[in-house]
Amino acid sequence: MTSLDAGTAAALTLDAVARGAATACLLQVSEGKGAGRRLLLVVEAGGQSRLYGSLGGGEAEGAALKRAREALLDTGHPDGGLVSLDDGTELYLEIRRPVLDLVIVGAGHIARPMARTGADLGYRVWVLDDRPDFATRERFPDAHQVLRADFSDPFREVPIHAGTHILLVTRGHKYDYDCLVRVLRGDPLPAYIGMIGSRRRVRATFVQLLEDGIPRDRLGGIHAPVGLDIGAETPEEIAVAVAAELVKVRRGGTGASLRDLENVAERFFPQSEETV
Amino acid sequence: MTHQDDLALSRALQEARALGRRCALATVVSTKGSTPRKVGARLVVDPVAGLTGTVGGGCGEAEVIHAARQVLETGRPVRVRVDLTEDFTTWSPAVCGGTMDVFVEVVNPAPEASP
Repeated sequence: MTSLDAGTAAALTLDAVARGAATACLLQVSEGKGAGRRLLLVVEAGGQSRLYGSLGGGEAEGAALKRAREALLDTGHPDGGLVSLDDGTELYLEIRRPVLDLVIVGAGHIARPMARTGADLGYRVWVLDDRPDFATRERFPDAHQVLRADFSDPFREVPIHAGTHILLVTRGHKYDYDCLVRVLRGDPLPAYIGMIGSRRRVRATFVQLLEDGIPRDRLGGIHAPVGLDIGAETPEEIAVAVAAELVKVRRGGTGASLRDLENVAERFFPQSEETV
Repeated sequence: MTHQDDLALSRALQEARALGRRCALATVVSTKGSTPRKVGARLVVDPVAGLTGTVGGGCGEAEVIHAARQVLETGRPVRVRVDLTEDFTTWSPAVCGGTMDVFVEVVNPAPEASP
C-alpha cells in the first residue's frame, strides 16, 4: 500500500458520502517516524468496505482500524478527535457520514431563503413543486436539484434515508398532508420532518393521521408547527427559525439564549444590597 | 466542518494539484478550553491562490500559516500548539482562553501535473 495524500483522501471522501457511504480517516499526527501517514476506510451503505493508504501495517494499524470501525457504528461519535495507541502513536480520526439532504417540498416564498440557508449550513438541498414556474433553477441557484414533482408521489427521484430532512411548505395543506402520510409510511424514516402550519391546522392534521392508521408514537417526531420560537414573521425569518431547529436536531442544545443559560452578569457579578 | 466546507477545501486542493502546485493543509486535531474553531477545522495554504478555510483567524492562524510555509519548504509535517490564553487586558486577539493543536502537512501535486 502506498501513502495516501490529503487531496486524494478528500476527493475519495466526498465521492463516498455523496453516494451514501460513510468514511473514517486515520492520520498519524504524532511527530517522528510515520508522521502524516494516512489510512482511509470507506464503508458503503450496504456494509462492504474498502481501504486506501496505510499507517505502516502491523498490530498498530489493526488496532487503529478497529477503533475507526467502532467510531463509525457509534452515531454519537464526534466527527474528529485524537486516538492514542498502546505504542504511543497518536492518530487523528475523522468521521464523515453520508451527506445530509434537505428536501423542501413546495417552492414558494419560504423555500427560497430556506434553500439558501440550507445550502449555507451544508445540506444538499432539493426543491420540489408541481408548478413549473416555481420549480426553476433561477429561483433556487443554491439547490442541488430543483424537481418538478407530482405531490401524489413526490419522492420518486429523492433519496429518503437516515440523513434526510424534509420540510413541507407546499401551497396547500392537502399537499402537505399527502406528502406527510407518504413519508410516515415509508421506511426508513427521515432524520427530520417539519411541516408549516398553525396549532389548529397541525391538530387537524394529527386527527387525520390517526384516522388514516398512523401510529400515535409517530406524531411526536413531526416538527409542526415548524421552527424555533423567535417570533419569525417574514419568509426569511421563518427560514432562520427552521434552520435553527435543524441545527438543534443535529447538534443538540436547548434553543434558549445562551445569555439566559449562562447568566454571566448575575452569577459572577451579583448586585450588592446598596446598589439594588 | 460542513459538507460545503469539505467541498470548498477539496476543490482548493484539487485545483492546486492539477496546476502542479504544492500546498499545505492545516487541521485542528485537538483543543483545550475555549477556541475559535473546533476539532476538524481546516485551512489550505496555497502559495499562489492564498487561503481556503480557517483555523480561527487572528494571530493563532498567523502562527499556523508560518508553520505551513516551513512545511512547504521541508516537506515534513509538523504539529503546532497554538496558545490563545493571553490575558484579556493585553488586548491581544489571543484571549479565547484555550489552546489547540494543529497538524500541518504538505499536499503534493499529482505526479502527472506539470508546474
